[in-house]
Amino acid sequence: MDETRPTRRQSDLADMLELLLDKGVVINADIAVTVGETELLGVKLRAAVASFETAAKYGMEFPDGTDMERVERAAGVEEIESDRPELDELEIEAAASEGESEENDEEAGHR
Amino acid sequence: MSLGRSDKSTDFETGRYLYCVVRSDDQAEFEADGVEDEPVYLVHSDGLAAVVHHCESLYDADDMERVREWLLDHQAVVDSVGEQFGTPLPFRFDTILTGDDEAVRGWLDESREDLEAYLTEFAGHWEYRVEITRTDDPELEDERLAELDAEIENADDGTAFLLEKQRARRETDLHRARDDEIAADARERLEPLSSEFEQATDPDEVASFSLLAHEDDETAIGDELDPVAARDGIEVKFTGPWPPYSFAPEL
Repeated sequence: MDETRPTRRQSDLADMLELLLDKGVVINADIAVTVGETELLGVKLRAAVASFETAAKYGMEFPDGTDMERVERAAGVEEIESDRPELDELEIEAAASEGESEENDEEAGHR
Repeated sequence: MSLGRSDKSTDFETGRYLYCVVRSDDQAEFEADGVEDEPVYLVHSDGLAAVVHHCESLYDADDMERVREWLLDHQAVVDSVGEQFGTPLPFRFDTILTGDDEAVRGWLDESREDLEAYLTEFAGHWEYRVEITRTDDPELEDERLAELDAEIENADDGTAFLLEKQRARRETDLHRARDDEIAADARERLEPLSSEFEQATDPDEVASFSLLAHEDDETAIGDELDPVAARDGIEVKFTGPWPPYSFAPEL
């Protein structure tokens, strides 16, 4: 029988990319600028990683729970939609995932 | 405005993009190509070093492929730092300190106590991730299912339809119970080998764990996963060692 050993294949990296946006040291100092300071940018980057195309290509899943709420909230801001075309796409995703996010309610408080 | 760098509110004159902090000899050198091929170097301060590159704004792009490249480049730098210096304290993507190297040094000194405490805690430890999934449904041995099967056989179409529904529900319950049992078993095996442990809830998986564990325990973790992986219709994905992203603090 094969022994179970950790792998670090290219495909395993996909999981990591999500962690890079979501986890890692956060600095609360006046001289620090992070994605957290600009909600929109955070949502955009997250969407980039989790977009349908990317997900299909790299075997990733849309982050669940609160993340979806953020996406939905951001996608609902009208002026952003109009001058940032990629958010139209985002809104479609948000709508498409609405059913799913209900199932995931338990996890909403997770992060 | 250069492609993908925008958002005036996040522009600044001088900044240092942060990859991670490590303990390091003040003479140690490190070079790599970072995000957007920026030259990466160390800013030292008395036994601590921040791994940085020069930048003037947050990374922001409309091109998703480009963002993916950035993330991979970021991860590559942190990986190579880890190989040379041991477990790094990894920062979230797009974390920038405004100011020059002196500002970074100032921040290192200010945060020294916390940074050193976490570096000590993480020394030799890495993040490992375990995902347990069901690849196919196992044969279920259950009295109630057998009863339902017999009833379905003898029932008329309408009754059979309702009984089929009951059967499906019973099957779902049994699968869930088995999943829960497998998850609990795996958790019991892995938790003692972890200094920190997180279980994520994902309806598509039997279980999903992130653990912070010592590199010397990697084999032991694998050994504990063997019997889990050997169960019928169960697949275990075990990845790592990764920088301890999930266990990184707010500073």
